[in-house]
Amino acid sequence: MAREATYRFDVFTSIASVLVRVYLLRMVWLALYARNAAPSDLPLHAIITYSTVALLMGLVMDIDQTRALHDKLHDGSIATDFMKPISVPLYFFADGTGEVLFHAALIVPSLLFALLIVHIDVPSLPVMGVFLVSFFLGYLVGFFINFLLNCIAFWTLEIQAMQLIVTWVTDLFGGEIIPLVIFPVFLQRIAFLLPFASMFSTPLLIYVGVIKPERYLQVLGVQLLWVTVLAVIASFVWRAGAKRIVVQGG
Amino acid sequence: MAIIEAVALRKVFRSRERQPGIGGAIAALFTRSYVDKVAVDDISFSLERGELVGYIGPNGAGKSTTIKMLTGILVPTSGVLRVAGIVPHTHRMANAANIGVVFGQRSQLYWDLPLRESFELLRAIYDVPRDRYLQNMKHFAEILDLDRFLSTPVRQLSLGERMRGDFAAAMLHDPKIVYLDEPTIGLDVIAKEAIREFIGTVNRERGTTVILTTHDLADVERLSRRIILIDDGTVIYDGSLERLRDEYGTHRTLVVSLAEPYPDFEVAGTEIVSREANLVRLRFNRREITAEALIRRVTEHYHITDVSIIEPDIESIVRTIYLEGYHDGSDGAPS
Amino acid sequence: MMSVYRQYWRINILTTLEYRENFLIWLGFTLVYHGSAIAALWIVLTRFPSMNGWTFRDMAFLYGLWMLAHALHNTLFSTVGDIPDHIRDGEFDRLLVRPLDTLFQAIATPGQVFPDELILGLITFAAATWYSHVQVDALFIVFIPLIVIGGALIDLAFNLVISTVAFWFVRVDALRWIVIQLEQEFTRYPVSIYSQGVRLLLTFVVPFAFMNYFPASFFLHKAHEASALPPAVGLLTPAIGIIAVAAAYLFWRLGLNRYSGVGH
Repeated sequence: MAREATYRFDVFTSIASVLVRVYLLRMVWLALYARNAAPSDLPLHAIITYSTVALLMGLVMDIDQTRALHDKLHDGSIATDFMKPISVPLYFFADGTGEVLFHAALIVPSLLFALLIVHIDVPSLPVMGVFLVSFFLGYLVGFFINFLLNCIAFWTLEIQAMQLIVTWVTDLFGGEIIPLVIFPVFLQRIAFLLPFASMFSTPLLIYVGVIKPERYLQVLGVQLLWVTVLAVIASFVWRAGAKRIVVQGG
Repeated sequence: MAIIEAVALRKVFRSRERQPGIGGAIAALFTRSYVDKVAVDDISFSLERGELVGYIGPNGAGKSTTIKMLTGILVPTSGVLRVAGIVPHTHRMANAANIGVVFGQRSQLYWDLPLRESFELLRAIYDVPRDRYLQNMKHFAEILDLDRFLSTPVRQLSLGERMRGDFAAAMLHDPKIVYLDEPTIGLDVIAKEAIREFIGTVNRERGTTVILTTHDLADVERLSRRIILIDDGTVIYDGSLERLRDEYGTHRTLVVSLAEPYPDFEVAGTEIVSREANLVRLRFNRREITAEALIRRVTEHYHITDVSIIEPDIESIVRTIYLEGYHDGSDGAPS
Repeated sequence: MMSVYRQYWRINILTTLEYRENFLIWLGFTLVYHGSAIAALWIVLTRFPSMNGWTFRDMAFLYGLWMLAHALHNTLFSTVGDIPDHIRDGEFDRLLVRPLDTLFQAIATPGQVFPDELILGLITFAAATWYSHVQVDALFIVFIPLIVIGGALIDLAFNLVISTVAFWFVRVDALRWIVIQLEQEFTRYPVSIYSQGVRLLLTFVVPFAFMNYFPASFFLHKAHEASALPPAVGLLTPAIGIIAVAAAYLFWRLGLNRYSGVGH
């Protein structure tokens, strides 16, 4: 974490980015809602809240937590890690966590500044609690997707482009900027089938109250399902990749 | 008329004085206190056309600052500078057309493409007439043995091959003056010799004036007749290698390790140059006393544990000068 | 200079061919980047058909115009963004030691130049022009190329200004990043949706509004809610581009003077 603290401009750009986008999205929704019929379940203040909270979540979610894996595969130092008597995946999880916690801390100042620009709704305490649980599950989904992407580096090192492509798809179909309930129906159906929706859309829709308490168990269950599925896939991929390293010597 | 004329060159770098910490950063917003660093302080010399000069000095002496002023990168704080009749910093491009530069640690060749492509681009940049270009290419290819790897991408070349390419690149436009900054650094013995050979040939056959900056004094010994030594931004010696050797050649240094910390250590006929704990350096004139006699004289009065003699090769002469300053009297009296 | 520029492009092409496997990757990258932006716009405008009077068709033209100008800049001038690195690692001195203008050399530094973004830009713009039903008359045909070039020059001006700042503050990444955000995200929507301060900023200080909004408003006959300026102001983009680059160049010379230690 000390490593991250020295990146002053990283802090600056992270917060500045959030604020610039908070402003932008506020103006966009204002303009859109001014001349068009608003969705009944998502009035203007709700959608602005959605976008703002999404951007704050993005501070934590948009980090490449397991980048160290790719880096080590790139320079071959992964081999030495395998010789250590530790669980290598756990090591990468812990390594990325520092950066994530640091960025999580950034949420507070970002939120304070954001409140100068917009007004956001605050749900009741129980709803907030469920939101946080859902956020955490969404974070885990994101973590495994990120991990799987970095695992591709076991087979081919050129993953930059792939990562960016997945990032954009995630942003779009995760409902980060545009609530999935705004999507045309056929796209919504696709989006809700993908794991990305669990990352942003589910927690956010809980926050703004579009998902009502009676559906909580159902949506949290879907998230948990995705976490499990991705975790299983991840362990298979990891084992295959590790075998490749050990057999081929990096 | 001299091709390079430098008179009382001076370069001062001014930077904001900054106190450490947050208090200092805030204070810096309100006050304007500066720190002046004098990199070059009254340097004068002149070079005739066709000279090959070694420009030597310890790190931080002001070598690269001088070269940057000569090449037009830096503007002098004061002083007069003329290179081939042009003032470098006011007519940067005209000056650039007359010079070639080889930075030993950085190549000007294009990494991804065959060597020949870099030459083509440079030909366009320096506007070299086609036939002159072909003539030069042929000549350099011969001396530097470039044909073997003209078609190889530069990134695949060995350091020695790349340096040879850089040399050809610097000479492509027939510059009147060539600045060589650490041209043999990192090269193996054979490659160094090849480069030195090339520099000597180019200087002799084309009359190209060469300024050579290097830490490898064997380069200087092999190539130049004249050496300019600078330290702390000033010239401390400007003359021939011969003279330097003569002056210092008469003097050698005896390095003695004392067995005990004799506080009144003194030896007749020698000069104590330095003393660090029990290690003493004695300078003596070998025409007055032989090393053997001196050692005997020392051991007559003192117990010693070790002794060695330092010969006056250029490297050690220069080292001595760095350590002691320059003595121009043959009796060893400091100037 | 022209022969050097020709040689520079020759080497660019050779270098790009040398690394042609990268081409598909970059193409995919560009496709997804612009594709997801357009997809997002489409999704939103399907649900909310009018944004301050602009429909998806209008926005497509707005985006296409920006994309083409930006792609042109990236193809011709992206090397200007590398100047801070050259200053930091000492390569910049090499430019000073050659008998050519340093900015010209910085622009003409060979490397990989993939035409994918430009080609995609042309295709997108053509498609957007057709799709938006904008009137393609003589005025359009004469002015649009000039406007695209003007837009590329505005981009260049800002690229140059940011790179020049490196003469004072070696790390300019944060600054560059913010300006890019302003450009890429704010030009996506009609400037009229922003508050007064931002509108003024994007018109007079950081004139990204001239890259696509004003010209698009003019050709699409949109009412000018963004400012009190007459619609024809959209035709001024080439002039704005030239002025912006001229101003940036003056700043660049200031930076060069500082680098050479003029004045002390």
